[in-house]
Amino acid sequence: MEFTITGANAITYPYLHIWDWRVAIYLFLGGLAGGCMSMAAVANLRPDKETPKSQACCWRVPMMTPVILAVGMGFLFLDLQVKQHMYRFYMTLQPLSPMSWGSWILILVFPAMIAFALSTVPESAMDNLKDGMIRNLIIKAQNSMRPLAKLNFLLGILLSIYTGILLSSFMARPLWNSSILPVLFLNSGMSTGAATMILMARRSSVKLFFTKVDIWLIFSEITVLVLLYYGQFTSPEASRESILPFFTLTSQYFPYFISILTLSIVLPLAIILKFLEISSDHSENIELTFKQKFEMNASAVLVLLGGAIIRFALVYAGQLSKFTGLS
Amino acid sequence: MKHYAMVIDQSRCVGCMACIAACVQENQVPFENFRTRVLEITKGKFPKLRTEFRPELCNHCDNAPCVMACPTGASYKREDGIVMIDRDKCVGCKACIAACPYDARYINEEHGFADKCTFCLHRLKKDLEPACVATCIGKSRIFGDLSDKDSEVSRLLAENESRVRLKAAGTKPRVFYIKRYPTKQIEEV
Repeated sequence: MEFTITGANAITYPYLHIWDWRVAIYLFLGGLAGGCMSMAAVANLRPDKETPKSQACCWRVPMMTPVILAVGMGFLFLDLQVKQHMYRFYMTLQPLSPMSWGSWILILVFPAMIAFALSTVPESAMDNLKDGMIRNLIIKAQNSMRPLAKLNFLLGILLSIYTGILLSSFMARPLWNSSILPVLFLNSGMSTGAATMILMARRSSVKLFFTKVDIWLIFSEITVLVLLYYGQFTSPEASRESILPFFTLTSQYFPYFISILTLSIVLPLAIILKFLEISSDHSENIELTFKQKFEMNASAVLVLLGGAIIRFALVYAGQLSKFTGLS
Repeated sequence: MKHYAMVIDQSRCVGCMACIAACVQENQVPFENFRTRVLEITKGKFPKLRTEFRPELCNHCDNAPCVMACPTGASYKREDGIVMIDRDKCVGCKACIAACPYDARYINEEHGFADKCTFCLHRLKKDLEPACVATCIGKSRIFGDLSDKDSEVSRLLAENESRVRLKAAGTKPRVFYIKRYPTKQIEEV
């Protein structure tokens, strides 16, 4: 006797697609905000301790940082399915849930970054402020600029690394479940933070300093990225298969192949531009030429682009990776 | 205290998918979502092929990654072993869906919260079996209390070699898989 069973069950097979561009943008902006916090802190801590507190050399990036993070959190909010229950994040602390303590980190980070931003308001801007609460707050914050900068440096690292821990804690997704991923996100966050400093800084000495910093950060980022893929390749089957989309040129995996191809062009190109940049004359009295400005801004934009590509590629590809089988 | 578990005898599953239909009907599962499924896995090279039916559902793990990942405490494990979702606490962040290695959860698009198999808790409260168990024509799905040594699930697990899905993941599932082929059939194979 022959049995023929027609399985019409393909529609019941699981297809995981839970987090899209909104989460990728949130992770990118979260890492960028963390990088901006740390790099702006470095910029303001670099001058001698005797430097008057009012001479904070960098104030536009600290001002932008809360806005960057708020926009990122806005995208995270858009991704929530039950938006009216958002307050539930702050009704409990689940110590084993990175998303739970991450939501508390965001609450901690905001006052610190706003206080730091206030502490960096330059004297020229103070003249335009009327007497009032904000002016008093700024004066109080300015007295603690250096401690606030140190706090922001640490919180920036915490924020950047958290965006990677959020993904790496998911054992069920082999591509994400790597201890290298938080390091990559931290590195990328710091690198994009340095790129933002380059874009926003007016003085060529500051641009030059962060260009040098960013060269090391990009080298480190490329190394960690290669280590991530190498670690996955030398791990069990599910982890090895999780990186296949990046190295398979088919219509299904085309975006992932393009992402790794783009990264392998964008990041080295950014390094080359930065080397060209630091080889130029950047003395304080010399005005930057168009070519120098172009090299600086182009390399910074490439770094930001690379950071965004990393988040998008890993968020989407991670959802393709899974364990299979009975045991 | 009861410790609920399910044993799935793969040798008795005929792939009729009645369990899926019963689950959808019983729990009003939204269109295109499923709390249970039956995978039809064919292995080998023609003509030496072998097909396996593997019913899958939430494993109600003792070490449930979905419960650990939930940022609001909406996912929780009851004392009887059933993993449940408090819909009032769920924010629909989808962390539990990402955390589940068995892809057992989905977002109820109509209401927004995460959802999954509950072992038909509402039926258990009325001393009824889960809908998929009650409807299984091959008696492939067996449900019961592991703390009762005389229950069918305890007996089947004692008498048969059992497997769980992704044992290496360390989630300690409460859905066990056995294959009870008659002795004669095994000899023929």
